[in-house]
Amino acid sequence: MLSRTAEYLYWISRYMERAETNARLLDVGYRMSLFPNPNGYNNEWESVLAAAGAIQGYKNKYNIIEQKKVEDYLFFDEDNPSSVYNCILNARNNALVVRTSFTPESWLAINKTYQEILKLKNNNFNASDLPNLTEWTIEQVNLFRGSLSSLLRNDGYNFLYLGLFVERADNSARLLDVKYFVLLPKPQYIGGNIDNMQWSILLRSLSSFNAFRWAYDGNVTSTKIADFLVLNSDCPRSLSFCIQNIVKHLTNLTCSPEKVSKIYNTLKDLNTKIQEEKIESIVDFGLHEFVTQFINKISSVDSDIQKEFFN
Amino acid sequence: MFNEMYQSESLIRNHYNNINEWLEKMTAKMINEKNAEAETHFRNIGITFSTNSETIRERIIPFDLIPRIFTFSEWSKLEKGVIQRAKALNAFLADIYNQGEIIKANIIPKELIFKKKSYEVSMFGFTPPRSIYSPIVGIDLVRTNHNEYFVLEDNCRTPSGVSYMLENREIMMRMFPDLFHTNRVTPIDDYPTRLLQTLMSLAPIKCNTSEPVCVLLTPGPLNSAYYEHSFLSDQMGIEMVESTDLFVEGEFLYMKTVDGPKKVDVVYRRIDDDFLDPLCFNPNSVIGIPGIMDVYRTGGVNICSAPGAGIADDKAIYIYVPEMIKFYLGEQPILENVQTWSCDKDDDLNYVLDNLSNLVVKEVDGSGGYGMLIGPKSSKSSIEEFRRKLSANPRGYIAQPLLDLSFSPTLIKNQVEGRRVDLRPFCLMGENAQLSSGGLTRVAMNEGSFVVNSSQGGGVKDTWVLAE
Repeated sequence: MLSRTAEYLYWISRYMERAETNARLLDVGYRMSLFPNPNGYNNEWESVLAAAGAIQGYKNKYNIIEQKKVEDYLFFDEDNPSSVYNCILNARNNALVVRTSFTPESWLAINKTYQEILKLKNNNFNASDLPNLTEWTIEQVNLFRGSLSSLLRNDGYNFLYLGLFVERADNSARLLDVKYFVLLPKPQYIGGNIDNMQWSILLRSLSSFNAFRWAYDGNVTSTKIADFLVLNSDCPRSLSFCIQNIVKHLTNLTCSPEKVSKIYNTLKDLNTKIQEEKIESIVDFGLHEFVTQFINKISSVDSDIQKEFFN
Repeated sequence: MFNEMYQSESLIRNHYNNINEWLEKMTAKMINEKNAEAETHFRNIGITFSTNSETIRERIIPFDLIPRIFTFSEWSKLEKGVIQRAKALNAFLADIYNQGEIIKANIIPKELIFKKKSYEVSMFGFTPPRSIYSPIVGIDLVRTNHNEYFVLEDNCRTPSGVSYMLENREIMMRMFPDLFHTNRVTPIDDYPTRLLQTLMSLAPIKCNTSEPVCVLLTPGPLNSAYYEHSFLSDQMGIEMVESTDLFVEGEFLYMKTVDGPKKVDVVYRRIDDDFLDPLCFNPNSVIGIPGIMDVYRTGGVNICSAPGAGIADDKAIYIYVPEMIKFYLGEQPILENVQTWSCDKDDDLNYVLDNLSNLVVKEVDGSGGYGMLIGPKSSKSSIEEFRRKLSANPRGYIAQPLLDLSFSPTLIKNQVEGRRVDLRPFCLMGENAQLSSGGLTRVAMNEGSFVVNSSQGGGVKDTWVLAE
């Protein structure tokens, strides 16, 4: 497989994953805007922007944080490199180059999404359209992922999934980082309204709201949520699940075994640690520090993959 | 005028009977639906061509639902004629890059060849595998009568349009399966396989495997034929590479893969000569593979088509193709050339200047239907403008009579109307010489128009060759 092809495949699924993350974040922001909040819901939009890693770019463009503007910035804005529109555009431009490396269905899924978002972008949308837009985005991303199931299980497949899980690991970790304080044990708030709301933001933005209830019995506690999102390898957006899958698709690569083992060696410790660690000791160590280390590790794995395979 | 479907006003040609019945059953509503379906399909699969326009980045070519049909015997004649021509063109290239017999025989003046930019000096004395310079030859034909075809031009470099030929058939089979039950249409979907076999049969001397590694070299997504590049490489199962994916080391050409370097044997290039090798051609080119020409000339890789193959489809050389056929093959030309006046000869120039309003004048290096004058259809002022251009640079122009291109039934606003068509079949030259069982039919969608180019309101049709 051409190095460039591997690179483009990797980025296609990163962009598609990112588009979904943005859509979920917007959905969370939209829900929050419907609830009364003593602090004013603008804060919520700010943390949505922060979790999307778009706060700086947004502030360069707008002075005030306002629902319509945030929605537009995260969904359609061409100036925001991570807007849903740009993610889909980039995924599609990459797919155009490597369409021969995946199935016609995968290309169709991406190209149709692109054709439709062009139309959506040209129609002025109302704030109340947002749930439809986010639902549409998630649907499109699922269509793309579904199309991957008919791919040959070759290196191209593994590069696609490496991209997906590197992006997801990064997104999940960043979201935790923005919201980590919610998960710190503060007995005075437990059971309070704010807590519930914050927790639900976190879970919903990781598409794990219902799943959490099924995974854990009894009371909702911050420790259980932290365990779910960090260590639970049943949860498809947990840090643990992401790293396991990065390891899996990395070691499944048949090309360049020496490069694979080089990258694997840098990941091994984190992978073992996350399988064996208890959530209590992570919280004692400092959830924020743990997540920061995780983000740095993922980013170095990302640059290793790019350096070793794509150059 | 010749109509492909109607023998006379009331009489349908036999091989169009089924289509006529089918057309009569189609309601306006069905036509609209099918047109919309075709358009959506073409957009979804991305069979678009890039435009320079800011507002519409990608356009699709209008697709007409009514197929253009050839009978088996009509096609047999075309097949022989096109293959004959493709052989002669390759023989011509082998000759002018070696002994130059045709020049010694005073058939073609040497300045017409050696002074052309498309004549590639670095090819002199080198013969590519099987002496094939142009493995894919696209011949543009028009029909003027039942048994009368003219070749408008030859395309020996990298003729495009074959993806339309294949996709037009796919969409027709998908939308109108019944038509294919009632008509015996020769399939064309083996074209990519045949193309790959052709390329593999042209492996270079130093290739020591029975399955040479072929790649398709594209300039990238901004090229107007990019869809075709990705389509063909996908159908052939070969890598589509850009020049940055390739590099020369020692005697061979390699591509960069996740496994490390992989040797490449045959490059089906869809980029121009100028951008192949900055060491040999255009030193300012940022694309290109430094050193590839050395590897090529020493038998480490084959480049298809060969650098310098373009001289054979030069409009000034075109005039001599019938002579080439006689000279190299000892045969009479099966397909006719259009009578052509080359304005660099004084007699011809005078004749052209006197008859501008009856002639078609083309730039020798022009393409895409641009920069040409259709005398009978032009205003006095544009004729005068061309008169000035011609007098200033007679070498740059040729002139031909306006051919009465055949009409093919075409759906215009849900009504069947006659529109003019041409035809580009694709001839493969490798171990075997073979013609695609069909081709690209382009149709001038505007009433009265003679210009079929997609850049100027041309559309396309599925082209059927009926089985015997």
